[in-house]
Amino acid sequence: MDFMKTVKETGVLIGISVILAFGVNQVSPNGIALLGQWDTSQGVIRAVKKNDVVMDELEIDDITHGKTLYDTGHVLFVDARSSEDYHAGHIKGAVSLPVGQYDEQIDGFLERHDRDLPIVTYCSGRTCEDSHFLARLLMERGYTNISVMIDGFPGWEAEGYPVD
Amino acid sequence: MIRPIQKVLQNGWLELVSRWILGLTFIYASYNKILFPADFAKIIYGYDLFPHALINLIAIILPFLELVAALALISGVYPRSAVSIINVLLAAFITLLSINLIRGHEFNCGCFALQNSDNNVSSQTTIMRDFIYLALGLQVFFYNRHRRWCLRQS
Repeated sequence: MDFMKTVKETGVLIGISVILAFGVNQVSPNGIALLGQWDTSQGVIRAVKKNDVVMDELEIDDITHGKTLYDTGHVLFVDARSSEDYHAGHIKGAVSLPVGQYDEQIDGFLERHDRDLPIVTYCSGRTCEDSHFLARLLMERGYTNISVMIDGFPGWEAEGYPVD
Repeated sequence: MIRPIQKVLQNGWLELVSRWILGLTFIYASYNKILFPADFAKIIYGYDLFPHALINLIAIILPFLELVAALALISGVYPRSAVSIINVLLAAFITLLSINLIRGHEFNCGCFALQNSDNNVSSQTTIMRDFIYLALGLQVFFYNRHRRWCLRQS
């Protein structure tokens, strides 16, 4: 067994992998930034894709502001989590529109809720991008007044706010 | 006692099968990671063992390391070097999974995309599986006879 030869060849394989990795990441539509956003105190954590769904301007990063909107009684809270999670517990009065079943459920949602209705989406907190993803999908359908409550259901529940 | 073990370890067909099993497994493993690097980065974050600055770099490079090593194993180009990479990766996976199993760390981001890509296999099962792969990898590494269906013998 020639140890040095193995080391050299391993270097060649690693070199090819690294070149290929950065090349493909550069051209792939799903490519990510070299540095992600992994600090929950800065907002939703994510790798930061080229087609990043997170829109900072929509974010409600203070849960008490979410509660103020809730208390007006004029804002629709939309739960982006799976229906199992929704049934296990959700913000009182929130409707379920799981990102995973968006295509099947969006028509019914459109019939029931006007486009000018103020909407707050939420999911499982700052480790989850689904509420942003749902916000984008709803904007594409013409909803104009959308916010994303990034602390999600866990943050809401921790404050002792109304749940069902 | 040692001789029969030696005989199995130096079995050319076993070496070929091990190489192909590892190669195909790692091609399969790299596929989703290459297609969805952002989801893979979140899984790395979930291990809670890496500096934040390295998470994206690992998510970009690791899948291609798996893919290139796997293709090299199957085609038989630098097989000993390719299997060295695979073995180091397997040892790293076993270590990371064991650390999180021991400290009881589990990450669930509640994300739809990750729920779907997660195959819900327990850490114990994955560790056992990785040990089996590592055993195959060590056989390929220490095999020192003529390798079957191999472009380069090294």
